[in-house]
Amino acid sequence: MARKIQKLTSHQVRRYFSDWKELIYNLAFFLNGLLIFLLLFESRFSVPFWMQSVGRMHPLVLHFPLVVLILYSLWVVIIEKPDSTRWNAELGESLLIIGTFTAAVAAFSGFVLSKEDGYESDTLQWHKWLGVAISLTSLIWYASRKYLAPWKLSSKAVAGVFLVLLFVGGHLGGNLTHGEDFLMSPLGPSVDETPKVAFEEAKVYDNLVRPVLEQKCLSCHNEEKSKGNLQMQTQALLTKGGKGGVLWDTTKADLGLLIGRLHLPLDDKKHMPPRGKVQLTEEELVLLAAWVKSGPRFDQLVSSLSPQNPVYTYAQNVLGGDRTEEQYDFSAADPDEIKKLNTTYRLIKPLSAGSPALYVNFYNRANFKSEEIAGLIPLKDQIVSMDLSKMPVKDEDLKTLAGFPELRKVILNFTDITGATLNELKNLSKLRELSLSGTGVKMAQVKSLEGIKSLKRVYIWNTGLSTDELATLKKGQKITFETGFRSDTLILPLNPPIIVTEKQLITKDETVSMKHQINGTVIRYTLDGSEPDSVQSLIYDKPIAITKNVDLKARAFRTGWYGSKGVDKYFFKAGYPIDSVRLITPVDSRYKGKGAESLSDGKVGDTERVSGTWLGYVENDFQSYLFFNKPVKASNVTFSMLRSIGSSIFPPTRLEVWGGPNEKSLKLLKVITPEVPTKDMPGAVNLVYEASFEPQELSCIKLVAKPLGKLPAWHGGKGQKAWVFIDEAIVN
Amino acid sequence: MEKPIFDHGMNTTRRHFLSKMSLGLGSAALGSLLIPNLFKGGGGEGDVEELMAGLPHFAPKAKRVIYLFQNGAPSQLDLFDYKPMLNKMHGEDLPESIRGGQRLTGMTANQAKFPLAGSIFNFKQHGKSGAWMSELLPHMASIADDLCIIKTLNTEAINHDPALTFFQTGAQVGNRPSFGSWLSYGLGSENQNLPGFCVLLSRGKGNGQGVYSKLWTNGFLDSVHQGVQFSSGENPVLYLNDPDGMDRTQRREMLDNLAELNQGTFNDFGDPEITAKVQQYEMAFRMQTAVPEITDMTKEPESIVKMYGPECLVPGTYAANCLLARKLSEQGVRFVQLYHQGWDSHGGLPTEIRGQCLDVDQASAALITDLKQRGLLDETLVIWGGEFGRTNYCQGTLTKDNYGRDHHPRAFTVWMAGGGVKPGIVYGETDEFGYNIVKDPVHVHDFHATILNQLGLDHEKLIFKHQGRRYRLTDVAGKLVKGLIA
Repeated sequence: MARKIQKLTSHQVRRYFSDWKELIYNLAFFLNGLLIFLLLFESRFSVPFWMQSVGRMHPLVLHFPLVVLILYSLWVVIIEKPDSTRWNAELGESLLIIGTFTAAVAAFSGFVLSKEDGYESDTLQWHKWLGVAISLTSLIWYASRKYLAPWKLSSKAVAGVFLVLLFVGGHLGGNLTHGEDFLMSPLGPSVDETPKVAFEEAKVYDNLVRPVLEQKCLSCHNEEKSKGNLQMQTQALLTKGGKGGVLWDTTKADLGLLIGRLHLPLDDKKHMPPRGKVQLTEEELVLLAAWVKSGPRFDQLVSSLSPQNPVYTYAQNVLGGDRTEEQYDFSAADPDEIKKLNTTYRLIKPLSAGSPALYVNFYNRANFKSEEIAGLIPLKDQIVSMDLSKMPVKDEDLKTLAGFPELRKVILNFTDITGATLNELKNLSKLRELSLSGTGVKMAQVKSLEGIKSLKRVYIWNTGLSTDELATLKKGQKITFETGFRSDTLILPLNPPIIVTEKQLITKDETVSMKHQINGTVIRYTLDGSEPDSVQSLIYDKPIAITKNVDLKARAFRTGWYGSKGVDKYFFKAGYPIDSVRLITPVDSRYKGKGAESLSDGKVGDTERVSGTWLGYVENDFQSYLFFNKPVKASNVTFSMLRSIGSSIFPPTRLEVWGGPNEKSLKLLKVITPEVPTKDMPGAVNLVYEASFEPQELSCIKLVAKPLGKLPAWHGGKGQKAWVFIDEAIVN
Repeated sequence: MEKPIFDHGMNTTRRHFLSKMSLGLGSAALGSLLIPNLFKGGGGEGDVEELMAGLPHFAPKAKRVIYLFQNGAPSQLDLFDYKPMLNKMHGEDLPESIRGGQRLTGMTANQAKFPLAGSIFNFKQHGKSGAWMSELLPHMASIADDLCIIKTLNTEAINHDPALTFFQTGAQVGNRPSFGSWLSYGLGSENQNLPGFCVLLSRGKGNGQGVYSKLWTNGFLDSVHQGVQFSSGENPVLYLNDPDGMDRTQRREMLDNLAELNQGTFNDFGDPEITAKVQQYEMAFRMQTAVPEITDMTKEPESIVKMYGPECLVPGTYAANCLLARKLSEQGVRFVQLYHQGWDSHGGLPTEIRGQCLDVDQASAALITDLKQRGLLDETLVIWGGEFGRTNYCQGTLTKDNYGRDHHPRAFTVWMAGGGVKPGIVYGETDEFGYNIVKDPVHVHDFHATILNQLGLDHEKLIFKHQGRRYRLTDVAGKLVKGLIA
């Protein structure tokens, strides 16, 4: 009986054990399944915050499978035959299942940990896949343990591969945690490993000088080993100096013992660090010298130095230049939700690939409604910055904004807010930057922002706050106020007004208009060729009708500005339409414009002689008939001509206007004899000659212009014939 | 091995199978709980890819770039790189040891002598960094504390076209995508109502060099990434307005009908270019309202006009383009590229450079201040500089107050501001002749890599495969210049 009971018990015990293993095996199986699943959908997986501590368990767990599986694999390797006394199947199986299970836990937690920021290297990828491989193969190994008896060659091969996997995977893991050269670094030259501090907080001694001393000096000058009676661990010990006295003397050219001995030639017995030890780099030497020279001081901040200071530069190289990304402790939003809320005028985007944080920009004022902000509430836990500039945001919308607790930066430039509800933002406990430029905020409201503890920078340019108020705000310590550019005291000349009307020939239905780019600027003008001034001249308030040929001159004026330069343009009063034109003398073939048509085509006043609107004459006089089908009552003829001294285009010496009922019976109505220009007259200028006569009915008009026969002596082409150029004739 | 597997199969009981199966399912079930909306209809990989497409690789410092390109190469020796040694040795020959076999352009290669030419302009130190700047740049000097002045840019090209192409596309040969196109490709457009890459041109009075549309080409990237040139005329963007006699409703109907036809073709052939085209039409339609809003300068406060200088209201000037650049950038345009021509002072440099500086100094500085006072400077990177520098020796005849300078690729000055670069520093050093770099060189590739980094892009990962090889803006070179990054 007793025997039977005993047997039963042992059976039960075995059964119990086997169940225990089965349970663990199932757990391992489950974890591996989960791991594979997550790996399949890795790109869409982001770690929920409650799971982060699972990831951080990785360093805690990973050593179990490592040791246990190495133990088991080695054991398998050394078993030579089935009946080996060294082999205990029961224990082996237990080891393997414990290894398998802990490997699964380690792999899973490692996967979760890898999703945290800061691990991006190739090493990680290798480590991850090796870890997964170890976990999976150990599971398979356990599942097929019956067919892989340790004395078989196949299982020895498996064990061998396993050992390699474990060693490589473990080593890579070590590299990830401790750095690539952690293992070998004690053998090689030491490397700079200063703990990273923010540049703004870095101190010259603590973060720059001390690390150098620790690496290059401390090994011989410490508590245990203090060569020359010098210890360098603390500020006090450094200041005390060693056997040779204090370490520095800033009155000396070599700055005293420390720097002096560092600078001695390497062969010198007194050179530090002694031959054979790792030497200081050039930069480190410069750093120490600059530090000693400055005092040396133990509490100085790097950021208080001038950027040209060598210590500053050194700090930039050692501390700066790394990507410091803000870590966000919230989980990512549903991509579908983000997609759904994105519109053409409301952009929602993650800060970067894999970042849970979102930023939102609004565009197009006309499409904006207050609901556009409220509609983002589903993403309130992810939105960290919002740019609402130029949108018609109302005061009450700030209340909605206050419902986005993760906001770090809000831009409200040129919105319609008055500032009355600015205190709504006080609950934004993470707000760092707020831009209110171009809004109507008041002093008290801005002042109240100091209640937001996290707030660092506020932009209040163009807000209507007075200079004094801005100065008061700038004095505050907590928040940096950017007040921007003020133009009150700056006086500049205005741009000249713009004469909008392009054509110069103005009919009686048409007008001449002007404008200025700055609204509200006063344009003053004259029509008689005199210079406009800011007091007397006509104010331009409506387009100008042209009743005769005029020389329009205009300038712009505005308070707070100097008056502009003048603009000048000649306008012709359009005459009777000329029905046909016939040139009597041939036009020069080089400048023939559009032939006879040019005189009546309405194109006037180009100063470019090759523009194709000019008729040029040099060998013979200009002579032309103008015909009207019905007689017109004419009293004057306007010649539009060109003077371009450099190109030998001169005013004519004589202009004649003949008129009559037909070409056979014309009489001379008017003669003009322009003067020959002098040397110092400006080069290319349009000339206008108006020939007036008694009003009379005319059907035919003959025009004559005689070119100057000999260019004056001061001209480069003296003695040669001058040109006349004409582009339009206007009959009124 | 077969037998054991067979045995194993035979030994697997139904219970065994079911229990393992339920475990497997359970693990998948837990996994799916951890990934929200995994099985939701309409979701799937595509969604995430779509969302993640055009995202920076890591959190960016800058979201946008405004590149004030000084086309023709301004003389660093008359603006930023103060070399009193050149004044001391004025007229003496450039020592051969300094030139060190540097190849010369055809314009000075035949010169018998290379007389050093000191700048006739006065230099002073400005800002906390004590940066040297000449009297030609009073406005820039006043914002010295915002500038990150790099004195040691260097390039391989020595003539304008290759150098310019190199700066804009990362290669001296043409037809590679330009910088802005790479960004548009890598980061997409922020504002879907405007192109992601805009180009603005202006011309100074100095000796000019051409600017061609190949500088804002999309190269082998999709044509949506091409730069869009804004002109100063009545229609800032060509072909954007409705044709005469067509109103907006008709346009809308036409686009809808066209889209329908295109959708039909797309259903037949599935060519993604078709949908891209439909999207382009839609964007152009939205641009019809967005562009006039942007180019309308009348709503700018008076202080803005004073700050940029009243010239900013004259379309087509550099000042106007700076103001427009700010407006475009503010509206989410990823890359605004300005070109200001006229810096190629081979002769008569003092006169030419005075005019050029009058054009650009005030407006460039104003742009920085303007972005700053709106809280946008930290997310906008502004770059100012040319395609190379100018020689320390004179081209042509050297007189006391007149000289010219030839092209110099070995060291020249470019500044950046905002966008997470270090403000108020001077980076790098040239020798006392201003000819060679003695400390911290920044090659064009390095410069590109650093700018991409500021935008959250790893220059080695921003790649496009074309004709069997992978291309990058930095080609196979470029390293991050950490000293420039705040």
